[in-house]
Amino acid sequence: MRSRPGQRFFHAWVLLTPALVLLSLFVAWPLLRALSWSFQQVSILNPQEVEPVGWSNYAWMISDPRFRQAYANTALFALMVVPLQTLLSFFIALWVDRPNPAWRWLRHAFFLPVIISMPVLAVLWTMLYQPMEGDQMGLINRLVTTLGFPAQDWLGNPDLALPAIAILSIWQGVGFQMMIFLAGLQNLGADQLEAARIDGAGPGKRLWHIILPGMKPSIVFVVVTTTLLSFRLFVQPYIMTRGGPENRTVSIIQLIYETTFLNRDLGLAGAGTVIFLLSLVIPLAILRLMRRAAT
Amino acid sequence: MTKGNEIRSWCWIVGLLLFFGCSPRPETSPETVTLRVWCHQGQESENQAMRQIAKAFNTTHKHKGIQVDVDFFPDYQYTEKVSIAAAGGDLPDVFDLDGPTVAQFAKAGLLSPLTPYFSAEVLEDFAPTILEQGTIDQTLYALGAFDSAMVLYYRKDIFEELNISPPPEGTAWSWETFLRACTQIAITEMTPVSLHMDITADEWFTYAFSPLIWSAGGNLISEDGRETIDVLNSPTNVRVLTQWRTLFDQNFARRSPINPDPFGSGESVMDWTGHWMAQSHFDTYGERLGVMPLPRTGPEIAAASGSWCWAISSHTDHPEKAAVWLNWVLDPRQGVTPMVEANGALPARKTAYQFFPKFDHSPFSTFRMLQQNHGRSRPRTPHYPVLTRAFAAALRDIVGGAEVQERLDQAATEVQRVLDRSGRTQ
Repeated sequence: MRSRPGQRFFHAWVLLTPALVLLSLFVAWPLLRALSWSFQQVSILNPQEVEPVGWSNYAWMISDPRFRQAYANTALFALMVVPLQTLLSFFIALWVDRPNPAWRWLRHAFFLPVIISMPVLAVLWTMLYQPMEGDQMGLINRLVTTLGFPAQDWLGNPDLALPAIAILSIWQGVGFQMMIFLAGLQNLGADQLEAARIDGAGPGKRLWHIILPGMKPSIVFVVVTTTLLSFRLFVQPYIMTRGGPENRTVSIIQLIYETTFLNRDLGLAGAGTVIFLLSLVIPLAILRLMRRAAT
Repeated sequence: MTKGNEIRSWCWIVGLLLFFGCSPRPETSPETVTLRVWCHQGQESENQAMRQIAKAFNTTHKHKGIQVDVDFFPDYQYTEKVSIAAAGGDLPDVFDLDGPTVAQFAKAGLLSPLTPYFSAEVLEDFAPTILEQGTIDQTLYALGAFDSAMVLYYRKDIFEELNISPPPEGTAWSWETFLRACTQIAITEMTPVSLHMDITADEWFTYAFSPLIWSAGGNLISEDGRETIDVLNSPTNVRVLTQWRTLFDQNFARRSPINPDPFGSGESVMDWTGHWMAQSHFDTYGERLGVMPLPRTGPEIAAASGSWCWAISSHTDHPEKAAVWLNWVLDPRQGVTPMVEANGALPARKTAYQFFPKFDHSPFSTFRMLQQNHGRSRPRTPHYPVLTRAFAAALRDIVGGAEVQERLDQAATEVQRVLDRSGRTQ
């Protein structure tokens, strides 16, 4: 039985209302609050006492060298993580996409880090990255020296700290992206691949002409989620380096967190949040165009 | 389910909710005020002691119309929790605070002055360091039950083997003597001193190494709390921290230690740490354990002090009753003694020392001497969290090889920007 349009409209609103209320309460309202604070001098300890300051919070934030450094660090982190993690997870998915159940353990092995809490992994990897000092050194330096290369102060060297954190992040997140690709691969028609193989198409040709075009939606989804996740960088540098050395791993989220809870300055934190969200508009617009092209 | 059954089920649910939700609390009169008390969650022994103190208070005050309900929150997120409660206008009646954060809460008008609730005689009994820590702009806002002290523990047996003489009791080594001792110990291939360079512990760096700066006459921020330029990066501080870095450059201390207790496990000969390790080290080494003040970089001995302290919210409707709890938890016998027994800290009340005779004898007497004569609070400024973060980051980078003057200039500028912004809008 078909329901009348008015009734359908009513049902739609009834079903949507809980989600809309929650979204308004926990997303829209805090964002609007942050936007309003960004034009005020206001402390978290006394948010009732506000003083309008116009654009000065934005001017302060933009002229702050630490904020600019945090911005550059976060963008650089995303530039390292997004392509590497996407490529790696794609090829791992191709490798583990085997019908034989004996290979399933490999998928589990790659997925395992995803379910372990990031703070635990950050502590663990800090020990792995332990620099050489006297007779003590971490496993990674032991490996590096065994291969004949000099040991490094991975988290203490300003040039190496962010890449070291990126490696941990890629390792931790690659299993999740692999699962997305795996689902995409299993949706591809096996007949099509089999036909191509019988027609003499090698692995390279099958990848380029069948797998990649069929996987476009999965690739775009992975790139979008990885980009958003990498801009949320916080736990790893906060635990492993506290934003150092020389502020080279401080992230935007860490800076906003510190501005809120150390400076107790909601005005500046609001301005930082707004700048951060606005800066996400460009990469997200590019990704949206990519998604449209893919579909 | 039929309509009748459904109605019956709802009646049961509502009835049960009313029964359990609205049953009166036993054993309290209708006029009884239950104070909300928040406390940081420290070691389990401390938490147990606090529960016992609160239980004893509730028993004693059952018929006096005051009860306390103590909630514990993990100490690593405790200050955030209290800040969020302040933002929501939901501060508890009484709460404890880490000493250096008192200024921030007091300046925001969130704390009640304590002087009306404590007689001059009682206040006289508190250690000067505790009074200094809780006093902001000549008003007392917070009082602690216990205090802390930084010292240099050493192995007497190894010192004797190497012919190293500790300083006479009540005095400290000069920096040069300390370095000579390190050089002698380094020959044995033992680590001369452990400095516990935990990268994530911002507060440790300020607490542990500010005394070096104070001893030389330097400071982290100007006395009026408005300047860090030419203070944090002063020539004195640059000299002191350049000297301090030699400990790492000459491998006298580890930059990234894994072992959390190298002294206790026999890896190092000296341990630059606080009172909290005293009992553990004493249990390990007994008579072989020595304690001396931190080496001085100038004419004065300097020691960091201060710890968690209690305050009354300015929003409470029951300040007098909150003060009754505070008097209990800070009482030498009811509050201070059980807490100090649990955490091994220094009593904040002079009269509480009678319950701890160990502080009359070496090596524990050094702690008392430091508290009474040389203890100093960390800077009492509302911007302390920004200052300590910037200072700790600078120290970490200096250990990592950054140029001392340049790195302190950067830290001073970072903090000064925050101070200037605050000054402009006040």
